[in-house]
Amino acid sequence: MHELFQKIIALPWDQAPQWLFLIPAFVMLMGAAAAVMLRNLIHCALCLTLSFIALGVLFMALGAEFVGFVQLLVYVGAVAMLILFAILLTPAGEVAASNNPLRNFKFSRAFAAAGGATVALLVLVSLLGAIFFSPHARAVVPPAQAAIAPVKAIGENLLNHTLLPLQATAILLTAALIGAALLAKEEKKS
Amino acid sequence: MMLQVILAISAVLFCFGLLATLTRSNAIMVLIGIELMLGAGNLNFIAFWKFSTHPELLTGIMFAIFSIALAAAEAAVGLAIVIQVHRRLRSVNVNRATQLKG
Repeated sequence: MHELFQKIIALPWDQAPQWLFLIPAFVMLMGAAAAVMLRNLIHCALCLTLSFIALGVLFMALGAEFVGFVQLLVYVGAVAMLILFAILLTPAGEVAASNNPLRNFKFSRAFAAAGGATVALLVLVSLLGAIFFSPHARAVVPPAQAAIAPVKAIGENLLNHTLLPLQATAILLTAALIGAALLAKEEKKS
Repeated sequence: MMLQVILAISAVLFCFGLLATLTRSNAIMVLIGIELMLGAGNLNFIAFWKFSTHPELLTGIMFAIFSIALAAAEAAVGLAIVIQVHRRLRSVNVNRATQLKG
């Protein structure tokens, strides 16, 4: 096993073709599509986890190793687990038919799905048009730089240029954790 | 051309998130869609960093890191709200949370 890893590391990764990043991108898009389309919530969360893992691998393939590992730690390790726990804690209760505001419209669900799909498709078409056919799309893009995001430089940047945002993020995370604990706490019946 | 391909992938991912947010009535699926859209934004930051004229300034990397931290806070608070809504209404269907409706 160890020798296999060493052989993989010793491969000439510098000369790898550029289109290799399409593989994690494809896995990511398939995972996202499955997460959106599937009916079973647990399957949705697991496909979302797959999509997050592929997104982290894509970050690493694009040269942002640190962001890729942060993505794996935060999204796969924390957010996906939170979503799974929330799904398990909220079993699908019976929706009383009399309380359902959409009960009068026989095809309301189909209409809502078609409307949402139309809006998403329009946004997609306009985004792709802007990406490929706008005047800025013909601007000269500087060539892809070699992967240069050393962790040391990121740490120095965090503690020099972005020190204030870092502290603000710390306060925000503390507030979010306290707020989440307060919100999810069981209320005492008085 | 590679930058545009990455941006197109990111646009498709964003639209999957938008689709989940708009069409699913389960509050957890709405949150999943928001997470997908935030991931697409992060991918854009990384792509523009990779093809910028001064990648050594690490601007895109910094934006992506802070964005991930904000997404984590958003997910924690959002799921706590979902659990509280389920406790009140016995349901996580967003169509039933109508108490604040004017």
